[in-house]
Amino acid sequence: MIRLDRVTKVYKTSTRPALDRVSAEIERGEFVFLIGPSGSGKSTFLRLLLREDVPTRGTITVNDLNVAKLPRRRVPRLRQRIGCVFQDFRLLPNKSVGENVAFALEVIGKPADTIRKVVPEVLDLVGLDGKAERMPNELSGGEQQRVAIARAFVNRPFLLLADEPTGNLDPDTSQDIMLLLERINRTGTTVLMATHDHSIVDSMRRRVIELDMGQVVRDEARAVYGVGR
Amino acid sequence: MRSDFVAHEVLNGLRRNVTMTIAMVLTTAISLALVGTGLLAVRTIDRTEELYSDRVEVQVALASDVSANDADCSQPICQGLMTTLKNSPLVESVRFESQQEAYARYKQLFAGQSLADVVRPQSLPATLRVKLGDQAAGAAAVKQAMNGQVGVRTVIDQRDVVAKLFDFLGGVRNVTFALALVQAIAALMLISNTVQVSAFTRRTEVGVMRLVGATRWYTQLPFLIEAVVTGVVGAVIASVGLIVGKFLFIDELLSGIVSNGVVPPIQLADVLWVSPILVMIGGGIAAVTGYITLRLYVRL
Repeated sequence: MIRLDRVTKVYKTSTRPALDRVSAEIERGEFVFLIGPSGSGKSTFLRLLLREDVPTRGTITVNDLNVAKLPRRRVPRLRQRIGCVFQDFRLLPNKSVGENVAFALEVIGKPADTIRKVVPEVLDLVGLDGKAERMPNELSGGEQQRVAIARAFVNRPFLLLADEPTGNLDPDTSQDIMLLLERINRTGTTVLMATHDHSIVDSMRRRVIELDMGQVVRDEARAVYGVGR
Repeated sequence: MRSDFVAHEVLNGLRRNVTMTIAMVLTTAISLALVGTGLLAVRTIDRTEELYSDRVEVQVALASDVSANDADCSQPICQGLMTTLKNSPLVESVRFESQQEAYARYKQLFAGQSLADVVRPQSLPATLRVKLGDQAAGAAAVKQAMNGQVGVRTVIDQRDVVAKLFDFLGGVRNVTFALALVQAIAALMLISNTVQVSAFTRRTEVGVMRLVGATRWYTQLPFLIEAVVTGVVGAVIASVGLIVGKFLFIDELLSGIVSNGVVPPIQLADVLWVSPILVMIGGGIAAVTGYITLRLYVRL
């Protein structure tokens, strides 16, 4: 479903490639951790899948679409099928929880009655039922990340990208978020999560793709974060 | 496209940058009011030209012997000139004014003034008063045909007399357009800047919109509509300003020359004719500026 074939990305301002001949294949419904030290290329990996950037060399295929060659006007359609979650939540502070989730559907032109129906459903799924009227600043970090996940998932994407989603959360809350991501994964959505969190990777025992200096140094099923790291 | 969503975003954007929005509306309004004034000047010039084209003639003054001896243009020299003029396709009509008629008109024109007593009929020439069919080419053709002919003293183009008035009106038009241009540049920069600030204050929203796959149109439209709304509101204020200005100042200012029939009055209908043009200019320029700004400076 996702296929990277010798993908290299060189930023103009850097001499070393951010990604260096990276090849990987991720099947539909997989749960994959993307690990590696800061600057190893994890975020670039995610940005290329979202077509926030294009590779310098190599091809990226998502659902049979050649992402790098995708014409500009078709990029929105790709992004509508991919959900995104970040370390800093990126909620809109002047909108309520319900409005934040609805926003993602409004801006892609979904009809109002659909939005009224699916927003409560997804808030229920992420464990925020009854909190639709709350403002983001009234919520804990964990709850805010649930809102962000609800927003990413409300359009039922086939792929969920998570860039350090637990980076700002305490271990217990992180565990809750991981349970939620697992639950979303069980609905058939592929989850690709970039993380530094050893304990989460170790406890989940999922496939691990490890990057170092822009290269894939390990790609292992049911793996741990790594010995001695 | 969800119109309620776009409308909501536009209102929010305008409210959030309220001081900037007001500055933009006012600058646009002043600029467009000047453009409107210029357009009214152009219209007045056209009207005045029309007014004078009916009145202005080319006068062929006849030599004094012809004037004195021919009271009704029945003799060969005058007849010849008359026929030449009438045969020209550029001439609409030719009327003969005898010395006596000229004298009577002169008396009436300067009634009660000492000049009227000094002049004798013999000192005024008889004239062939030529109405032109073709205002542009006619005068020169008549001059060329008549100058130097036997029996012709001089050829007077009355348009040379009113040229000064047109120069003045043309000057008013040029000055207002020049001011409008300077003001328009300020308005353009302000629109561009406001769009950038607006996009910056909403960068989180725009970022989220991009991520969830909103189309470029969806992300840009609220900004564009904001710009167009301010442009149109500016044009409406400019139009109201012109109407108020007409009744408060222009009517008073022009009252003298209008009642003398020197220039035609500026009607409310003229201002109402200018208003939709201002709205189109205001909205159009704001839209184009907004679009170019978004393309060049804002990553959406």
